[in-house]
Amino acid sequence: MQSSRRKVLKAVTGAGAMLAAQPYLSLPAFAQAGPLRIGIITPKSGIAGTIGECGLRGCQFAVERINAGGGIAGRKVELIVEEETNPKDSIERLRKLVLQDKVDCVQGVISSGVSLAMGPAAEEMKALTIFWDGTTQDGVNETMPHPHYVFRSTDNECEAVMASLLVVKHWKGQFKTVAGINPDYSYGRNNFAAFQALLKKFGVQHEVVADQWPKVGTTDLTSHVAALKAAKPDLVFSSLLFADLPIFMRTAHGAGLMDGRTKFAFPAAGFQHTALKKSFTPEGMIFGHNTLYFDLPNASPLQKQFVQEYEAKYKDYPHWEADRAYFAMQVYKAGVEAAYKAKNAWPSQDDIIGAMEGVKIESLGGPGQMRKDHIAEQTFYQGITTHKNRYDFPTLGQIDTMYSDQLQKPPGADFWKWIETAQIKL
Amino acid sequence: MSAFFDILLGGVFHAAVLFLVAAGLQLIFGVQKIVNLACGSFYALGAYFGVSAVAFAVSVGAPAYLFLPILLVAGLALGVIGPPIEALLRTVYRRDEAFQLLLTFALVLMFQDILRFFFGANPQQLGDMVMLYGTLSAGTVLVPTYNALVIVASIAIAFGLGAFLKRTRFGRILRATAENREMSQAVGVNVGRVYATVFTLGTVLGTVGGALVVPTAAASLDMPVELVVEAFAVVVIGGLGSMRGALIGALIVGMMRALAIRYYAELEMLAIYVVVIAVLIARPAGLFGRPVE
Amino acid sequence: MRIAAVIAALAALAVLPQLISPYYVTLVLPAFAYGIALLGFNLLFGYTGLLSFGHALFVAVGAYSAAVLTAKLGVKSLEAIMLVSALAAVLVAIPVGLLSVRYVRIFFGILTLAFGMLFHSFLFKFYNLTGGDTGLRVLRPSLFGFAFPNLDKTSFLVGPFYYYCLGLLAVMGLVMWRVVGSPFGLQLTAIRENRRKAEYLGVRARLFCMIAFAISAFYCAIGGVILAVNTGQADPDLAYWTHSGELVFMTVLGGFAHFFGPLVGAFAYVFLKSQLMSVTEYWRFVMGAILVVIVVVLPRGLIGIAHDAWAKVKRS
Repeated sequence: MQSSRRKVLKAVTGAGAMLAAQPYLSLPAFAQAGPLRIGIITPKSGIAGTIGECGLRGCQFAVERINAGGGIAGRKVELIVEEETNPKDSIERLRKLVLQDKVDCVQGVISSGVSLAMGPAAEEMKALTIFWDGTTQDGVNETMPHPHYVFRSTDNECEAVMASLLVVKHWKGQFKTVAGINPDYSYGRNNFAAFQALLKKFGVQHEVVADQWPKVGTTDLTSHVAALKAAKPDLVFSSLLFADLPIFMRTAHGAGLMDGRTKFAFPAAGFQHTALKKSFTPEGMIFGHNTLYFDLPNASPLQKQFVQEYEAKYKDYPHWEADRAYFAMQVYKAGVEAAYKAKNAWPSQDDIIGAMEGVKIESLGGPGQMRKDHIAEQTFYQGITTHKNRYDFPTLGQIDTMYSDQLQKPPGADFWKWIETAQIKL
Repeated sequence: MSAFFDILLGGVFHAAVLFLVAAGLQLIFGVQKIVNLACGSFYALGAYFGVSAVAFAVSVGAPAYLFLPILLVAGLALGVIGPPIEALLRTVYRRDEAFQLLLTFALVLMFQDILRFFFGANPQQLGDMVMLYGTLSAGTVLVPTYNALVIVASIAIAFGLGAFLKRTRFGRILRATAENREMSQAVGVNVGRVYATVFTLGTVLGTVGGALVVPTAAASLDMPVELVVEAFAVVVIGGLGSMRGALIGALIVGMMRALAIRYYAELEMLAIYVVVIAVLIARPAGLFGRPVE
Repeated sequence: MRIAAVIAALAALAVLPQLISPYYVTLVLPAFAYGIALLGFNLLFGYTGLLSFGHALFVAVGAYSAAVLTAKLGVKSLEAIMLVSALAAVLVAIPVGLLSVRYVRIFFGILTLAFGMLFHSFLFKFYNLTGGDTGLRVLRPSLFGFAFPNLDKTSFLVGPFYYYCLGLLAVMGLVMWRVVGSPFGLQLTAIRENRRKAEYLGVRARLFCMIAFAISAFYCAIGGVILAVNTGQADPDLAYWTHSGELVFMTVLGGFAHFFGPLVGAFAYVFLKSQLMSVTEYWRFVMGAILVVIVVVLPRGLIGIAHDAWAKVKRS
């Protein structure tokens, strides 16, 4: 089925070879009758494979509901899924989606490295792209100061900021020594740096007694736990988020680190929440679920339905990557439909982009919007863990909700300066 | 003082894990001169299959504390993949070693998708089963009993293999074949059967290693490509073909890493390479290897 | 006969952008890049008999040099970038080669894999210098001083840059042809056949292996620069050992015993992988299976198959 489509496309592109010099918009009138084709770039294998899988499931849920409701402005949505691997090969997939498949929109991308490479590429190809994730703070300022075609998710530091604020709010004055154990790459570095900057801002006196940087995806953390024990920290801040997180929990528990004398803050633990069993994940930890907390007591019917269907289909509970994917799809839908209504004809890509700026939507995890500078704003959920639930893993007993405008630097600002100078509420 | 023991135990545990990953590689190279790039894949397969086997056993009513023998059996059972893979490799024995290396690289590629197909993209773990055997404690030094068992197991495997190679008749045949294949064949050794056995044994070392370690770790899709590096580093340090070298090499890497983590955490990722280069400059054949010319 | 075939191939490549869609033209660029890289790689593998599983290291050196030069130092001249990147690779090749060429065969392969991964860890770790896991941006260079500001990136890539790379491939191919045909090249072959014997005959094996190693690094870096400009980013995965494995795969796919084998392999691999990725999510398995078939049944690669087919045609 795909090959016949490709044959048709080849014929069309062969005939329209001149179009090679123009922006790679979807062909006008010709394509409007058919489905809206959306290219999805997401990891399938390797360390991020499970995250990409969850995201894709959220995306598919969105598309099923959209199509059941008649599609986007009357046109059904069709997904073309490509694998996100490394920047070089992922850019090639992007080119295939944009130049060959001529998709109407590209969504996806989880790795920061890939998003940093893909952003400029998408801009140059004038291809409307909505990232699910990726892009940590520092790199973006260099590569994409004012994107036109690319829309980004919330900045990763949001969860670090929120966890740090919760640490200050709940535990200020209760700890003197601090340790960090964070994965040794940009995400981990940014998280811990944000944490320390925020402690400093709120005048929380602390001493860093251990600063661990385990290799991403490492499966043996006994030495790290031993070093943490030796340092005797009052509080441990960790942005571990892959399979290494449950391993750390288990190891730390086995070494006696979880006996209550040490406080823990895990901004990104929600990725692995179902693997963190009660027997080694204690109560009283600050735990982050980002934009989707599956067990939210007053969740919207939309979220409840999603969690229910997800659990029935996949025998697991979703984490926030599904919400990021859903959010992207909803933002696109809202933009297209608003632009269509305003124009009373099928909108151009620029019309859609204009309509997407500032659009407000309801995502799985709660309300959100797309800022005018193409950065998403969503609702974040973190809290203190409890064992009082019907699962074999902890959930949030005390839930704190914050919105991106409290956690994210405003348009144009520098992240570190913002932390220093802004009025950040606890 | 207890901190010292914690760190020491952490280093020894990591050494045990490294040895289990590298042992199969070392054995297969020592006898057949094949470098098995798929050693990490076998280890990952053992880990995944081990988790599945235990989960299945528990679901049909087996008591959870039997998970260690179940893992061992699961790892050993995977030995069945040894002979067919060896038969495939046999087609390129006579040819340039590059082809053998490439064939095992092809296996790595195939295994990545095989693992994903059968076990999915989610990392597989055995929850907290590792705690079922309790914890050994001496003062404030706490070691999960299972971790101690892994250390004991890898030492047992190391010495067992060593004894097997040195003392038993088959071991002597193996070593003779490794030294000089034509001569062994001339004196009547069925080289084909020897190679098949050795390869299967090396495979089993990998799968059993993966299964044994998985309660303390996890099975994830990046293991096949990530572990190869550590296995190679251990083998380079210890000397190609030397079991003793693999053990000592693993110990050095494990301890260096543990010390780096404690005292200079930034160095952790690079610690293993520092040791490799130091050994290469000082003793090019590895600590216990013979010069490969 | 052979010259005619080469000219025909170059001519076909020259008119290709007019015939096929822009997407496929952008695919030819990595094929050019790998073609050049493999010309160098095969000098070491096919001609000298040393199989390196770490040559992606030099591809990465090329890519990162291009990134540092364009984005951090503002150097836009592609000629300068290529020269500096290739020399940087040679500089790196010297210590790595010195430590590695002492060994032969399998140990050489293991060592080079370890060095490649060491570089990968270095790139990953020293994020202030190298951008860490996210890598470094590579800005668009100017070709012989021309910046083509009116062209967007894709038009630049399928237009001037395409022809630049085609010309570069032809030139570097010609240089390599001379190298392998020279006495030096013959001595490399002698080393491959029997190192000890070659040494008895007066060939300084280690020195020559070193030189071949350095030349291969030079070529790989140039390939890396092309890849980096095409992608717009240099990232650590370029140095990962499986990328080195892909280099070997491509070489053997095309046929390592033939001068043009690696070039054929580069093109075939790039297109094969791209098509497979569109068709199945288990493309790694299929690639692995194809490699098994090549190694076991068709060790002389695509060129070997072509030769056999041609011989059959001639006979009948």
